[in-house]
Amino acid sequence: MHGRGRYLASKIGWAVVTIFVVITFNFFLFRILPGDPSRSLIRDPRVNPEARAALIKRFGLDKPVFLNLEGGNPLDSQYFAYLGALSRGDLGQSFAQRDQSVADLLGQALGNTLLLIMPAQILSILIGIALGLLAAWRRGTSIDAAALIFSLFMWSLPTFFLGLLFLFAGSQWFDLPTAGRVTVGASYATWWDAAYDIGRHLLLPTLSFTLVLLGEYMLIMRSSVLDVLSEDYILTAKAKGLTTWRIIRDHALKNSMLPMVTLIALNLGFTVSGAIQVESVFSYPGLGYRTVEAVSTRDFPVLQGAFLLLAISVVIANLAAELVYGWIDPRVTEA
Amino acid sequence: MQTPVRGRVLPVVVIVGLALAACAPNQAQPSGGSQSAQPSSNLTGGTVKIGIAGFPDSLNPGNGLLSESYTLYELVFDTPVALAADGSYVPELATDWSVADDGVTWTLTLRDDVKFHDGTPMTSADVKFTLELYRDTDAFPYLPSYPDVFSKIEAPDPTHVILHADSPIGNFESRMAFIYVLPKHIWDKVKDPVAFENKEMIGTGPFKFVKSVQDESIELASNKDYWKGAPFVDNVTFQTIPNGDARVAALANGDIDLITDTPTTAVPTIRNNSDLELVVANPVSGDLRDIIFNQITPENCPPKDGECTGNPALRDVTVRKALATALDKSQIITVGKSGLATPGLTLVPPGLGDFYASEVPDYQFSVDAANKLLDDAGYRDTNGDGIRECLPSQDCKTGDLTFRFNYPDDIDSGAAEAEAIKGMWQAIGVKIEIQQLDSDTLTSICCPAFDYDVIMWGWGSDPDPAFLLGVAQCQEIPTGFSETGYCNPTYDNLYKQQGVEPDHTKRVAIVHQMQKILMDDVVYVIPYYQQYVEAHRTDTFTGWSQDLAPLGLEDPSQLSVLRPTSAQ
Repeated sequence: MHGRGRYLASKIGWAVVTIFVVITFNFFLFRILPGDPSRSLIRDPRVNPEARAALIKRFGLDKPVFLNLEGGNPLDSQYFAYLGALSRGDLGQSFAQRDQSVADLLGQALGNTLLLIMPAQILSILIGIALGLLAAWRRGTSIDAAALIFSLFMWSLPTFFLGLLFLFAGSQWFDLPTAGRVTVGASYATWWDAAYDIGRHLLLPTLSFTLVLLGEYMLIMRSSVLDVLSEDYILTAKAKGLTTWRIIRDHALKNSMLPMVTLIALNLGFTVSGAIQVESVFSYPGLGYRTVEAVSTRDFPVLQGAFLLLAISVVIANLAAELVYGWIDPRVTEA
Repeated sequence: MQTPVRGRVLPVVVIVGLALAACAPNQAQPSGGSQSAQPSSNLTGGTVKIGIAGFPDSLNPGNGLLSESYTLYELVFDTPVALAADGSYVPELATDWSVADDGVTWTLTLRDDVKFHDGTPMTSADVKFTLELYRDTDAFPYLPSYPDVFSKIEAPDPTHVILHADSPIGNFESRMAFIYVLPKHIWDKVKDPVAFENKEMIGTGPFKFVKSVQDESIELASNKDYWKGAPFVDNVTFQTIPNGDARVAALANGDIDLITDTPTTAVPTIRNNSDLELVVANPVSGDLRDIIFNQITPENCPPKDGECTGNPALRDVTVRKALATALDKSQIITVGKSGLATPGLTLVPPGLGDFYASEVPDYQFSVDAANKLLDDAGYRDTNGDGIRECLPSQDCKTGDLTFRFNYPDDIDSGAAEAEAIKGMWQAIGVKIEIQQLDSDTLTSICCPAFDYDVIMWGWGSDPDPAFLLGVAQCQEIPTGFSETGYCNPTYDNLYKQQGVEPDHTKRVAIVHQMQKILMDDVVYVIPYYQQYVEAHRTDTFTGWSQDLAPLGLEDPSQLSVLRPTSAQ
């Protein structure tokens, strides 16, 4: 195996190792934290001792955490039971909602979150790149200044504050819904009506999230393009008499995308953690909301699942970024 | 014996009791609550949209912990006996109940005209099945404690259930008030009742379950065949809106007709809007804020788990009385709850009706009187640092009346209340060192470790006073239920008596006497009882409960009497 193949194999190998380490770390993290998972399971001290014991047994919390050293099968422990279940794709049952599986809870929330975040990501990436390019191209003009100020302002504005402003303005002046994903109890005549209703609900959160992400993309893009524009080969291109637009399209754009790829990959990876603040402000039932709920009820299985999902997506997004590097810049694979 | 009550630890964890009500549809006046003076309407139909802060944790009544779940159960299910607005118990699925001369054999007589939502008649077999299911499913957190005293349950004919208890019981009705009767023909096929999601949610209640979307919404439809008569509205929807400001905004722009858990900061906004109405009341079994003094003595220190590091001065009732006398409860309510709370008195909240000992005198707030109590008992500030010293006979670590003061991080108003209390006690030469703790940590220092001086926490109550009063028994010291370490054999005897006293009036007298003892000995100080604050629109529906005290605001029964203001 040479070059590209080996590069690919080593990256994927590391990704798998990283995920396994994260699984193990997550598992022990929640058991090292102060507080007893069995108490978290039923946090009301007035629950019958019998009920508590029955629940502890049900969730396997009566077993040793790592290795069973008290005779019998040494692998009969919480950790190996968790690994076994994971290998079957079973993330366990929620502590707080005992008849619900973690996979169902997170799966549904993930779908909602993607619906909210994907359009926002795509919009902010496209607009951010365009604005960054424009600002760099027109460096020093009032367009550059305006774009810069706008981006810095948006980037530094607290997300929840921007969200609250939109919430009040939107519900007061534009009669937009303030919460949720759909109108509760509505029945739709056509597919279009359903899409329209969901769109109305998504408008404000998507707009808030887009504006918040936009600033960062624009700023990085601008400085990256400026770097590239100062290179010798750009000077050469200018000397050859190419138009500014052709210089940007053929020479500057692709070369200034490397830092953007890193940033986009990182942001996409963290996407599944949900836009916690946006989801909280707009009461949107996504992963962010679910995670916050799980933290406040100490729902360890759900938290473990959410962390796992987050870790996997960050690792995959990074892997994708590295592969894209190889494609954009062939030098990377040879390193 | 424990009963369902709000978790001490988690604010959202429940309370059963919170939402209880005698569902009284189609009656001009629901028992105990007077209706608004709005023009009466004969219209029917429409969808009542309710904004709630959380989402029910289970559609399976056995698994429920959250108050949102119990609100839903009250609408979809019926119970043999229901709790009325005045705290008394009234017939629901049972028309009558009685105990035989042996004092242990109880008979429930059931209605014969009740049908489940799927059309199957409800009979004694369903009630027997439900009682046994709740009793025998250990992993149901709350419900087993209600039927657990009945070792044998029989259903001799379709309208009678006979329950055999092992010993006489004093609170039969309260044991029947949470028995949400389930259809045997569905549940007897369920192998593991704890893992059963109960997605159909078939009951006999005034509303039928239609649909639930996790973390988003619940839809209900009125039960047109309800045995008490159908509700006037067609549908009720619950939408989860965790953000309090968004909940108020949704109410103000008409997306929602009713909100619960109204943020106190939004109260002025709601009062200024003519289409909105605010209702504040004491719930049937509300939460209370309590201040807990570590009174454990070395002899009673639990041998296994006890640390017992409390300041010994707190074992002196005079010190506790002085601390209680120096507390300005109205000030705490103002800073902590924007004035929306009822000043506290005894451990049993007023929502429990005649069990509440309102005749017991409160500690009269007076800084001078509190100072005098401490002066007379010999607690003087001899080194001039502003803090009174302990008595020479007391082995105080700090040598003076300096107390650790802890409260859990889930009390929103905790910091404000703790600071207010600090100032009040400073005025009588007592210093507190405030530390907020995560509730698990607080539980670990509290009990049965007794590794604290003073804790500010809270209880939720059950409609029956037995649980709250039970925590002050000597036998609960090692179990961790006793937070104070208080031990008084006279009190314990009274507790046993009330547990087996079948005569309500006599039991009430004993319960009052017990509250008096706790007040005299200053076992706890109760700064306030929580109130529920609800807001609704007046332009969409009429018939909202206006004066439900002492019924909880999140009173599902009002949904059965609402009417739309215009044809919908």
